[in-house]
Amino acid sequence: MSKVNITIDGRSVECEEGEFILNAARANGIFIPAICYLTRCSPTLACRICLVEADGKQVYACNAKAKEGMNISTTTDNIETERRSIMEVYDVNHPLQCGVCDQSGECELQNYTLEMGVDSQHYTIADVERPIKDWGHLHYDPGLCIVCERCVTVCKDMIGDNSLKTVPRGGGPIDAEFKESMPKDAYAMWNKLNKSVIGLTSGEEMLDCTSCGECAAVCPVGALVDTDFVYTTNAWEQQKIPATCSHCSAGCQLNYEVKHTSVESNDEKIYRTSNEWNYVSLCGAGRYGYDFENRDVQKDEAAFTAALEAFEKADTIRFTSTISNEEALILQKLKEKSGYRLINEEARTFKAFLDDYAKVSGQQLYGGDLKGAHDANFVVSVGTALKSDNPNARYAFNNAIKMNKGAGLYFHPLKDPVIEGIGKGVFPAYHKPLREEVVLYLMLDLFGDKEKLPSEITEYLASFHSLKTVTVEETIKEKVVEKVMVKKVNEETGEEEEVEEEKTKMVPKKVSKEVEVDENRLLELLDIDADKWTAFMDKNLKKKDSFALIAGPDLYTHPNSKNLARLLALVEKYTAFELTMIPPLTNTLGVALICDLDSEAGSYSIGYNTKGDFTLSALGDGDLDMPAMNQQEGTLTSIEKRVNPTNAALAYGGYVLNDIANALGLSARYTIDYTEQLPTGAGFHAEAFDNLPNRFENDGTEVRGYALENLAVAAGDEAVEKIDESLALEGDHIIYAANPVRQFTAFTMKPHQLTEPAGIYLSPAQLEAMELAAGDEVRVKSATGEQSLHVVEDNKIDGSVMCVTTFDPNIKTEELFEAYRFTTASMHKEG
Amino acid sequence: MSLEQFTDRNVGQQHYFKVEIDDYPQTGWEKFKQVTRRALSGELFVGLWVVMREMIKFDIHTVQYPKEKLPIGPRYRAVHEMQRLFESGTERCIGCGLCEKICISDCIRMDTRIDENSRKEVTEYTINLGRCIFCGYCAEVCPELAIVHGPRYENTSEQREHFILFEDMLTPIDMAIKGEQKEYPGFGAVTPHEDARVKKTPLAY
Amino acid sequence: MDTAFIIETLVKIVVVLLVFSALAGFGTYFERKVLAFMQRRLGPMHVGPYGLLQIAADGIKLFTKEDIVPAGVVGPIFKIAPVITAATAFMAAAAIPFLPEFTIFGYTVHPIIADVNIGILYILGVMAIGLYGPLLGGMASNNKWSLISAARGAAIFISYEVVTGLSLLVPLMIVGSLSLLDFNEYQAANGWMAFAHPMGFVSFILFWIAAFAETGRTPFHLVANDHEIIDGFGTEYSGMRWGLFFIGEYANMFFISFVMAIIFLGGYGDGTVMGALGLLLKVAFFFFFFLWTRAAWPDVRPDQLMWLCWKVLMPLAVVNVVITGIVMMF
Repeated sequence: MSKVNITIDGRSVECEEGEFILNAARANGIFIPAICYLTRCSPTLACRICLVEADGKQVYACNAKAKEGMNISTTTDNIETERRSIMEVYDVNHPLQCGVCDQSGECELQNYTLEMGVDSQHYTIADVERPIKDWGHLHYDPGLCIVCERCVTVCKDMIGDNSLKTVPRGGGPIDAEFKESMPKDAYAMWNKLNKSVIGLTSGEEMLDCTSCGECAAVCPVGALVDTDFVYTTNAWEQQKIPATCSHCSAGCQLNYEVKHTSVESNDEKIYRTSNEWNYVSLCGAGRYGYDFENRDVQKDEAAFTAALEAFEKADTIRFTSTISNEEALILQKLKEKSGYRLINEEARTFKAFLDDYAKVSGQQLYGGDLKGAHDANFVVSVGTALKSDNPNARYAFNNAIKMNKGAGLYFHPLKDPVIEGIGKGVFPAYHKPLREEVVLYLMLDLFGDKEKLPSEITEYLASFHSLKTVTVEETIKEKVVEKVMVKKVNEETGEEEEVEEEKTKMVPKKVSKEVEVDENRLLELLDIDADKWTAFMDKNLKKKDSFALIAGPDLYTHPNSKNLARLLALVEKYTAFELTMIPPLTNTLGVALICDLDSEAGSYSIGYNTKGDFTLSALGDGDLDMPAMNQQEGTLTSIEKRVNPTNAALAYGGYVLNDIANALGLSARYTIDYTEQLPTGAGFHAEAFDNLPNRFENDGTEVRGYALENLAVAAGDEAVEKIDESLALEGDHIIYAANPVRQFTAFTMKPHQLTEPAGIYLSPAQLEAMELAAGDEVRVKSATGEQSLHVVEDNKIDGSVMCVTTFDPNIKTEELFEAYRFTTASMHKEG
Repeated sequence: MSLEQFTDRNVGQQHYFKVEIDDYPQTGWEKFKQVTRRALSGELFVGLWVVMREMIKFDIHTVQYPKEKLPIGPRYRAVHEMQRLFESGTERCIGCGLCEKICISDCIRMDTRIDENSRKEVTEYTINLGRCIFCGYCAEVCPELAIVHGPRYENTSEQREHFILFEDMLTPIDMAIKGEQKEYPGFGAVTPHEDARVKKTPLAY
Repeated sequence: MDTAFIIETLVKIVVVLLVFSALAGFGTYFERKVLAFMQRRLGPMHVGPYGLLQIAADGIKLFTKEDIVPAGVVGPIFKIAPVITAATAFMAAAAIPFLPEFTIFGYTVHPIIADVNIGILYILGVMAIGLYGPLLGGMASNNKWSLISAARGAAIFISYEVVTGLSLLVPLMIVGSLSLLDFNEYQAANGWMAFAHPMGFVSFILFWIAAFAETGRTPFHLVANDHEIIDGFGTEYSGMRWGLFFIGEYANMFFISFVMAIIFLGGYGDGTVMGALGLLLKVAFFFFFFLWTRAAWPDVRPDQLMWLCWKVLMPLAVVNVVITGIVMMF
């Protein structure tokens, strides 16, 4: 892409060639009204209000591409008339009781009606009955809907659920006289608007999607609202606390919106979360999982003294990665001071994986990020259940395929209808567990620069290829000449007579052909149908210039994780792929970089948000209470290799880790005093917490915290091990340690809107095959342990692999697995 | 009624009276003269006469407050009232929260929820009269003419915080049905000739 | 002295004390009512019919109120000061004939407690002692306003007392006695002092003016001028101690009204019932006039009062005495 210069309202503006005019204007602070356009999604052309004049021609700014030297004016008399008429049309039959509407105060219809100065109405049409719909977690009031289709667009282009579509409204036609009297675009827009409302793609009455609520967030009016939020408070009353979502490693920017609880209680309460939906999309956990705070905590001095005594006794601190960088640093400092062993298995594995990766790649961190994945046009995912491990990675995967005319490969053992739902642009390759190495070799084989790759690898890859002669049936169209008798009227005699005529016809004909094809045994190892594969790759690999690879947590715990890490490094080095790794938990990356983790636990342990001999917990079930992430300030390191600040949305009255650290000899007034001290040797900056911004610029630039330095480390040799072809999990009962879409940790269990139960999730097909029903209890037995689990039906997975949840700490599902997330198990129904 | 006397803001000196004040006496002689003149002209007796006259006239203006009360101007801003709709008698308040927002002494608070009929329902509504400065903004901003100022200005309380609840303010239902509820003419009410100012919208059906 | 005389005197003392204490209370009621009417108000209305029981309410209030003696005051003097005011006011009453003598059950009653032959001198002297109440109370109160009030009291006292004395000289010279009974008898024979002689009229006016200063009433309400010095000497007092000052002030108003009526306006005249009623009417007028002026006139400044006393009234009084002397000589 090259830069071009365009002129908007006399201002010279530099932008990418082919960028939409609207985006160029927004990036440069020039206002063009637009209702239906979402920055990272495709133009809908529903509202038509973004009309501008480009080089004397009226175009829609949201889908007209910038060309060198273009001269654009955002208003002309005609455009003004059109815009006013459009706003008048939007106001036709729109209820005027703004007072009761949840959107009042942040309503784009209100804003633009005022902006366009609509103070009278020239159009009418009889309204049709549009009853309010309750779609589960969403509340849809078609009476308020202006059918801008933003919800449909975001669901399709960003989220990838395709749950919403427009359905017929069933009203009468627009009075014909308006066709003459109205401006052209306003009439066209009305014509479309008047025919539709929003409905569910499934045609059912309940929404069945991954419940992210993004559609309600983007709704410009009060038509789509979160059911839980309806009529509870007004937009202007809530204070927006900029924060970072602490549920998964995506670290999405969000605002907690707080207000006093009720007339009786002055305590702050989070009513909802909001996000900059043009630049970041939340998942269901981020949007609805906000009330995980540790409530009603007072300073319990007895418990604090007991905690200090426990720290005296202890030689081990166990913790999870749902803590801030600062807390991780406090733990590290305590280790340095008193020699505690720090136990965090999931972060240690990830750290080990990163180290192995660094030994080949020469840099401590992966090179890509999700933003790159959004912009790529060929994305590959390996080793992760994308939608539940990191919903934002899934959005990036979907967005890249939908928006950039891209294509994607999804390598995973778990069949995923949500990923398949993205469409023809994605090739789902469901391989056997433990075959992840094959995937990476395949990547090297397909995309690797054979010239530069180490010769052993090139040779090894070549050994999988063989030429094979296959008989291909092709359909060719053949020209056939037929003689037909045609009845014709003789012009001279006026009589009808049969005349013989020759006619040519194209007739399909099947032809067998012998073709020599290259057979790749790697595909066979991955159970991929070679023909489909070839067809897909032939079709979709054309014109692709930016590549992204998302690697997930399955790889970190793989028995051959060391080899996988090295292979990943090679893929990144010798292919065009930008590599992004999904850290397993919220701040796993930060913890891995800050803490020096141990593998062997000692005799007496302190647990932080996890069970120990003495437990500090933000979940409210420990021996000493700690603040949850929405009650404390701090920074979190996200998958984007970015250190994001988060703020305290709710009050917390108890002790924090810093109090304990101070009592144990460290000295810092606030936890965030440690922000400056984060190790620069690991890529952190010596920046004070209060200097960290948390917002987006108009052009979508993420001005949040700072990006980690990706420090260079000494690289070693590039030797990798060959594939052990015997390594594969077979069997009907393969279980996979994965959570449902909106669950990550014990903190996502607490919010009242996240109701997914813990247990074992089976696809409907598998449920039938195993003759189980949802709600049954099953005894699951693996090589390492056994557990009684609750059976849950989940239509968001498919195939025979079953998901065992890990978020509920009360069910020790980790005992079922060795380290790798897949294992075979035997199951029998209980009771 | 003509508004001339209000719209004419040309505040000149045309209606002013000048009080004639003599210069202060400078010399002893002048002072003596002044004292003599004042003493002999009986100024003191004028004062005595005036008060005696008033006593004889016995034109008493005292309002014996708790027993008698002066009528309150219709636009007086005293303790709030919640109006009901005339025909149905249902509450006018729709829970939009504008009064809560505009209140400059931050004394209004409300809780709302969605009720069984999918309407916004006000579950709690309080005004802290201890804080209220009776500015009338709430009545002015109310889009439904629901919250208005009533005539009840006696609100002594044993404590500074004195809350008034929605139920206390609401016009009793039987009163509303009988049509005894008076429309408030003060801040935020519909002014006369409002119809002329509203732009007409076509209603084709 | 016979026992009957002692009993009679004691009864008279008790009657005078009770009657004038009660009158002080009623005086406040009347004052409030009169002032209210003159200002188009109603005055006290709520306690009893037309607020008549207001006095009782005030009395109960004053009696039951806590007696506060602030820290830093000179205790004994602070406590005794109000007593001085009240006591001297009532002591002065000893030489005043309130009514003509009358006979009841065959017993002739002289409605005067002690018919001393220097009656007027005694009254002036005792009333002058009354100054010590505000003076000592003000000085002992440990309060700036009280102290200013005491200083004002002393300064004013000297000013008006001179006028009082000089203005009284004229009737004394004319009558040639100090007994108030003699005054009464003289006037019964020769007509009212104020109108029988021009000099008598002048001294009547002078004495009247001085009486305002003596009782501390508007326009000479300087020792306790609310808008300048709070309640002056009374600022730190509460309850019945403050009430004693109050009773003293009102009793004084009544007694000085009696004195003026007896010396200048013929007293009870010939001693008939009509004469007795006449005396009471004259007293009532003087008392009413105290209230009337309060409604009508502003207060003057202390320096203006002293200017008036020393530069206007005293020279007038002296000239008046001299003229009287000359007139009597011929």
